[in-house]
Amino acid sequence: MAEAMAGPTSPPWHAKAGAWLRQPGVLAALPTTLFLSIGFAGPLVIVLVYSFMPPRTFSMFQAPTLVNFVSVVTDSYYISFFWSLGLSTVTVVLLLLVCYPIAYGMAKLFGRWANLVTVLVALPLLISENIRLFGWVLFLLKNGILDGSLQALFGLTIPSLVYSVPAIVLGLTYVYLPFMLFPLVIGLSMVPQSLKEAAADLGATRLQIFREVEMPLAMPGILIGAMLTFILTLGSLAESKILGGQAVVMIADDIESAFTYAQNWPKGAVLSVLLIVFSGVLVFFLFRRIDLDRIIGRR
Amino acid sequence: MGGRRASIARLLIVLWTLVILAFLYLPMISVVLASFTKKRYFSFPITAWDTVWYEKALESLSVRNIIATSLSVAVMVTAFSVVLGFCSALAFARYDWKGRKQFQKMILLPIFFPQAVLGLALLLWFTNIGIVTSWKTAVFAHMVWIVPIVTLIMSIQVYSFDPALEEAAFDLGASRRQVLKEITLPILAPGIVSGAIFAFLLSWGNFPLSLFSTGADQTVPEWLYAKMVMGYTPLVPTLGSLTMGGAAVVVVLVLIGFQIRRMRQR
Amino acid sequence: MSGVASGPILQLRQIVKKFGDFTAVAGVDLDIYEGEFFTLVGPSGSGKTTMIRMLVGMERPTSGDIYLHGQRINEVPANKRPTCMVFQSLALFPHKSVGENIEFPLKIAGVDPAKRRLRVEELLTLLRLPLSAYGKAVQQCSGGEQQRVALARALAFDPEILFFDEPLSALDFRLRKTLEKELKDIHRETGKTFVFITHSLEEAMVMSDRIGIMKEGRIVQVGSPGEIYNEPSNKFVAQFMGEVNTLEVETADAATVRNLADGRTYRVDRNLDGFERGFLIIRPEVVKIGELARGLANRIEGTLFNDYSLGSRIQYQVRVEGDGVPWLVERLQDEPFEAEPGASVVIGWRPEDGILVRD
Repeated sequence: MAEAMAGPTSPPWHAKAGAWLRQPGVLAALPTTLFLSIGFAGPLVIVLVYSFMPPRTFSMFQAPTLVNFVSVVTDSYYISFFWSLGLSTVTVVLLLLVCYPIAYGMAKLFGRWANLVTVLVALPLLISENIRLFGWVLFLLKNGILDGSLQALFGLTIPSLVYSVPAIVLGLTYVYLPFMLFPLVIGLSMVPQSLKEAAADLGATRLQIFREVEMPLAMPGILIGAMLTFILTLGSLAESKILGGQAVVMIADDIESAFTYAQNWPKGAVLSVLLIVFSGVLVFFLFRRIDLDRIIGRR
Repeated sequence: MGGRRASIARLLIVLWTLVILAFLYLPMISVVLASFTKKRYFSFPITAWDTVWYEKALESLSVRNIIATSLSVAVMVTAFSVVLGFCSALAFARYDWKGRKQFQKMILLPIFFPQAVLGLALLLWFTNIGIVTSWKTAVFAHMVWIVPIVTLIMSIQVYSFDPALEEAAFDLGASRRQVLKEITLPILAPGIVSGAIFAFLLSWGNFPLSLFSTGADQTVPEWLYAKMVMGYTPLVPTLGSLTMGGAAVVVVLVLIGFQIRRMRQR
Repeated sequence: MSGVASGPILQLRQIVKKFGDFTAVAGVDLDIYEGEFFTLVGPSGSGKTTMIRMLVGMERPTSGDIYLHGQRINEVPANKRPTCMVFQSLALFPHKSVGENIEFPLKIAGVDPAKRRLRVEELLTLLRLPLSAYGKAVQQCSGGEQQRVALARALAFDPEILFFDEPLSALDFRLRKTLEKELKDIHRETGKTFVFITHSLEEAMVMSDRIGIMKEGRIVQVGSPGEIYNEPSNKFVAQFMGEVNTLEVETADAATVRNLADGRTYRVDRNLDGFERGFLIIRPEVVKIGELARGLANRIEGTLFNDYSLGSRIQYQVRVEGDGVPWLVERLQDEPFEAEPGASVVIGWRPEDGILVRD
């Protein structure tokens, strides 16, 4: 395969493309790339096309219109979206508060126990979220586990806590907790103890150390955790359906209704586009900040 | 770092962690508790403890059907995802090539994507191509989400794989196939097994994608959801408990397997 | 010195290797003789690793030919070549025991288990490893033991040429010194051709029959350790060993050269025919100081500036007027000399100890 020691002209584009294709990395990437183009990119394109179709129609091949996009504002399609935004924000804030101390413990204090905690937190993810959320229903229902125990032990009774907005927040916080915790742990473990000690040695107070040393260095982890949970809760469906009943409609729920009961595919499509674009922008910013080789390869 | 205040803070953190861990497992315990009643409706405290619903679950034809569906889907998803995931894990973490960083980010996209929307979009896709949805289309739908996850899990192992090991084996006279069989696969086996377990369990427990892509067939989570919303029976917590038990058994077996492997290498 | 008379086993002709726009190896011609211990020495980035990978078969040359026993082997893949490499990371298979690692090439070749076991035990003994190490996990072996296992595995393959990619670089001093000597012993006992690469000329000197110095993709000199040390062909090679005194000089007359920096002239002990300009290199250990410099043909006056203890030797820095860089002088611990920094001293060397090079 000795290349001719020819002149300075570079090889034609198809030769370069051929050489690129023959790299083992490219060949290995091909199957999944093909699969995802058909299974992921394809459906997305279809959704996009449908968002431009006239309402309540089912064919993709009509003249495009912007009616659906306008309807987002005029027909209050946006309500479910704002509910989702609100609930997601509340969930993210809550999760930050709940998980930060634990993440701190796992990164700095627990030593060998940290692995056990990791496994214990990750295990529930392998169980269907249906089942787990249903457990909360059983717990919070009138005459459920909480109410029943209180009655039996103290003679108290509480109203049903299910099918309300707080229940949805509880559900979201519960299901997506690991997705906040693990990035936080990674972020905090990137703050070397020696830096904090040096700052203390130079006269900084506890609060100053937190503000000047810990937060900035742990920020990548905090941001990733926050963005990850925000994006995931934004598009969630089961929590609001199982725990929320009819209390509130989140955007995924609205999309589902549009595609099924309401028989309005273009409406469902435009809501999907709204959700995808919004999430997409966040994902874009998220991806710019992370270098997977460093995070995963570090181990 | 001040002694007494630090140890109080430390104690609080440990307590908080235990509280949250209890919080994480509370609903699952609730489900198990609710399965042991004789009555047809749920109320607590349980006055009539019984395992009758477990027997009914194991006898019921409809339960057997949905378990068969879930099993078929999960097995197919696992098989395909492991193969695709292995290839893309190599592309992700092992080989250096132009476009790798973009590939890494592209692979992650389906994970971040709202599953319900993905399910619906796939439904549109299938309908437009003219494919009738069934458990087979559910396999396809699950894979879109699961292949990236399996890729990530396997990549963790692949990252720490020293390519010099393959080169050394090749240099010592092994053919490419022998290198794969003697060196690459055995060393990567834990990652492959982990990926397979995740694929199986995540497929088994998946709800949003199944809901829209199974058509007339029904998986266990779909059935559970339908009953949760309308027509509650204690079969729900029973089946839920059986699922959790099954998953727990699988995970424990795998963890034991890894422990044995590590001890043998000592 | 072994094997020079046996003729070259490996011949490299005009080897070039490019990675895209980057040229790693820029045209190398080299003969390696059967049974010799040959070391390629060069700084990082000089192309030595690329060279060795081409010889083993992990890379193909962009152009040029490699001949083994006169046969062109460019196209022969690594697993078909009768060569074997000890990697820098050792590449011991973590999921196999010590014994399983060593027997790997035999297993691949289809040798039956009983014979494999015997051969492994032979190798364990050769490499001064206990027979009990057979079932040990490689992770549990010390650095030195792992080196020996890697070497045993390579020898199990029974290659004609054994290549070493800087295997000792990461080891501490004592272990390195021990292993250097052991490698030399094993080379003698097995009689195979060893090709070693390292960035340390000192290491190469200890072990090699011949040394090749590489710089920026080319070989600048090949010779025995003595030749490399006493007759470097250029400034790069001369300076490779460590700190030396370098003067830019031109011919003054038939037996003296003039330092272009300060005009001083020095006697040299070689024929200056055709030599117009170049460098005069004087190693610190040949420059004498104080009483010891008495009677030497080349003497200069300077001011003592600093002294450093180098264990068995003491190094002095002497400032000489007109020369920008201080002179480096060494003496042995037990040679007589006393002076304080700032004192005037005389240093000198014999004409035959100066090395003249053109570039």
